[in-house]
Amino acid sequence: MKAMAVRPLLLFFFFAQVRLSFSGELSSMESIPDLQESMYMVVDGYPCVRLLNRSGKIGCSNPGREKVVASIRRFRNANDLTQSTAVLVSLDELQDLLHRYRSIHICFRISNDVSFHKNIVGVLVESGAEIRDKLKGFSPTQKFPQAEFAPYPSINYEWNSMVCYQSIGSGIMLKAYDFPVFLLSESSTSMLQEVADKNEKVMNGYTTSVAEFDLVMQTCLPLGGYSVWSSLPPINMSSSYQSKPIILLVASMDSASFFRDKSLGADSPISGLLSLLAAVDALSRVDGWNDLNKQLVFLVLTGEAWGYLGSRRFLHELDMQSDGVSGLNSSLIEMVLEIGSVGKGSSQGVKTFFTHTTGVSSAVNDALDALKRAQDSLKSENIEVLSSNSSNPGIPPSSLMAFLKKNSLTSGIVLEDFDTAFTNKFYHSHLDDMANINSSAVVAAASLIARSLYILASDNNDRHSSVLGAINVNTSLVEELMGCLLSCKPGLSCEMVKNYIAPANVCPSHYVGVVIGEPSFKPYLGYVDDVSRFVWNFLADRTSTPKENASSRCSKDCTNEDEVCIRAEINGKGVCVISTTRYVPAYSTRLMFESGTWNVLPPNSSDSMGSVDPVWTESNWNTIGLRVYTIQNGAYDHLILIGGITVTILAYFMIALARSFITKALKRD
Amino acid sequence: MTVAAGIGYALIALGPSLSLFVAVISKKPFLILTVLSSTLLWLISLIVLSGIWRAFLPLKSTTWWPFALLIISSVGFQEGLRVLFWKVYKRLEDTLDAFADRVGKPRLFLTDKMQIALAGGLGHGVAHAVFFCLSLLTPAFGPATFYVDRCPQMPFFLISAIIALAFVTIHTFSMVIAFNGYAEGNTTDQYFVPVVHLVAGMVVKSAFARCFCLLSQKFSLLRILFLIVLKNCQLSPETALVVFVWLNVLCHACSF
Repeated sequence: MKAMAVRPLLLFFFFAQVRLSFSGELSSMESIPDLQESMYMVVDGYPCVRLLNRSGKIGCSNPGREKVVASIRRFRNANDLTQSTAVLVSLDELQDLLHRYRSIHICFRISNDVSFHKNIVGVLVESGAEIRDKLKGFSPTQKFPQAEFAPYPSINYEWNSMVCYQSIGSGIMLKAYDFPVFLLSESSTSMLQEVADKNEKVMNGYTTSVAEFDLVMQTCLPLGGYSVWSSLPPINMSSSYQSKPIILLVASMDSASFFRDKSLGADSPISGLLSLLAAVDALSRVDGWNDLNKQLVFLVLTGEAWGYLGSRRFLHELDMQSDGVSGLNSSLIEMVLEIGSVGKGSSQGVKTFFTHTTGVSSAVNDALDALKRAQDSLKSENIEVLSSNSSNPGIPPSSLMAFLKKNSLTSGIVLEDFDTAFTNKFYHSHLDDMANINSSAVVAAASLIARSLYILASDNNDRHSSVLGAINVNTSLVEELMGCLLSCKPGLSCEMVKNYIAPANVCPSHYVGVVIGEPSFKPYLGYVDDVSRFVWNFLADRTSTPKENASSRCSKDCTNEDEVCIRAEINGKGVCVISTTRYVPAYSTRLMFESGTWNVLPPNSSDSMGSVDPVWTESNWNTIGLRVYTIQNGAYDHLILIGGITVTILAYFMIALARSFITKALKRD
Repeated sequence: MTVAAGIGYALIALGPSLSLFVAVISKKPFLILTVLSSTLLWLISLIVLSGIWRAFLPLKSTTWWPFALLIISSVGFQEGLRVLFWKVYKRLEDTLDAFADRVGKPRLFLTDKMQIALAGGLGHGVAHAVFFCLSLLTPAFGPATFYVDRCPQMPFFLISAIIALAFVTIHTFSMVIAFNGYAEGNTTDQYFVPVVHLVAGMVVKSAFARCFCLLSQKFSLLRILFLIVLKNCQLSPETALVVFVWLNVLCHACSF
């Protein structure tokens, strides 16, 4: 039969075509969620978020309530953009781009094109070690940060020389952008550079890789946090008479940056905080504080970068004689010593610091003498304390400004590592990290401060000079604190921090955050951020006097009014100690929390800083995210649909044809 | 990729079976029942196989023979089930014929028998397509697409839809050929079907080794099967060969 002869032929053709090949590679996907995950790459990014104030808004946001989806391209090729693009930029290109968006004339330009390309709908900023080395500096804030709060009229003075533009006004951080901006982590940077390059090559594009920005911003909460103050020796609450003059040591613990979650502020101001903590540690090992004539109070403020919230609120509460500051009286404050940026004071082995004073008064002179004596006693450390240049218009931007505005006769000194302008090239930027400071400078500043404070408290009495030589700062403590507060490894999960609190995050961020719930002097600890809680516990522990009886365990509060419960968050380790350490809420003096909502108060003539306060608030958001995935052309999708429909209809016709053919064939039989 | 593409992929995989259902199966309720029962049978075979192989999965092996073993055992089991299906069908046929005799109606024609076989095959094919393609299509309705490294010319979902389409056709026609083979006692046809099934399974496992190579293999299998069906309908062998060669050329042209 002829049919039989065909069969081997068919089989031959069949086997000739079959090529068996086995895969050596395994697919690592085992389920649909795995497939979904490999389709959508979630990118680590630090967003720039929307902040609002009385007069307007700053920061970045998606233009509407939708996610922004755009294909990824590098900035230098952006001039021939035909469709919405998410540009991948380096940091100097970012400055150029944002200045163009806001039409600010800048000193140096990357290209001559003055217009902002309308097709740029999202910005991804690269990061990497080579970027900071290439840059001279980067500071997204103003030439004179928070100039409106200065107690002197020269608001044109350039404290921050890294900002270069011809018009006076805000830097890029203080402008509003209607598109999302994300800072990428180092691993994501290389991944997205590959994606952008791939997009360049496949220019025909029926597929392209896109970035999806989810940065939808809504209503807002006020910026603020919790400052901490502690006194050495602890104030005896039961004895109502408290008349020792107070020497106040101030530092701040918050910073700002263009990218909210990457505000480390290593030099400005965390180096100051580290010096304060190290100085407290050194001073705590000295005995006999009760015999001295003066009282030391340590104050760690937050919210200073956003309108001096901490210092203004603290002074306000002092005036109101609130519970949280009981034991303090503003008339008793004899001297305010502030530690500003001290991390860059070290060069060629010599640590140089500058004192910026509020004027000439006996208290200031005493303090300057004390610093001189301390410097002399630390001969081996090679420390130099110099007065700031007299051509400076006044004190640099610092919390002392709030004290001066409250009382222009305040005697104060700000200790900084710069003279006429910031030496910090990365002021208020995400690059002000641990590599920007020197631990020896911090140790030197701490030693200087500790000894000066002792000299001041002991009224410069020579009888105590032997004790002076024994006040030494623990270098390893400073280095450990740097690792805890300025890096992610070990970050807040380091031994020292975990000894006191249960941190919510591992990577520290010194952005002030928002005030959640009602601000109070005994806040719910879940609403207080990790660094504030750590500082509170550290200060309480160091300034505590040892108890004669055994310490009692506690989990929240102690029965005795003079005692506080430290290490309360660690299970079973909470212990009551005699210490005066309190939280003070830090939020704008123009705001009041009443019956569940925040109200803006009208300006008060007695509160001159409040009338220029922008009253910063932060936008609420649902989720913030950045995803990268590949998409197909719309035309391709429609082609597939048409293909599917065609296949279906074609099959139908073929079946109908076959059926009629078979019926006819059967009828033949 | 969006909804349009998702629907497109679903139609590519299951469109022809839908057409077949509407054109042939839906006319006779008995065929609908056959489709459903063969789908169920195929799913049960999958469950049993996964139950047996669960202890050994996932196969984290870089050598090929565990996978080959997996495929061979699964195909063998399913072919065994096909024989079982055939036996049940034979009993059913006898029952139906006896019933027809009793009420004085004609017995099952050849076309009826082929239609039942077709329905059985369609049930298998639809179950395969739903399990191995439609279940993967959920991410296809989102905005992103996915390309496998080994086959960067086409999206993953398109490849899986085309393979599902091929398998639907293979299963449908295999059942027809197998039943014909069992009925006529034709051993070549009887052995041909399991071999084709096995080869198809092995080729898919080669995991997109070469996109177009893979797809042309699929289509060559299809061509063979289609021609065998036509042969059974007494198409002249010369015509069959002409059609075969023509299809061959066409498919090779497409793969470039």
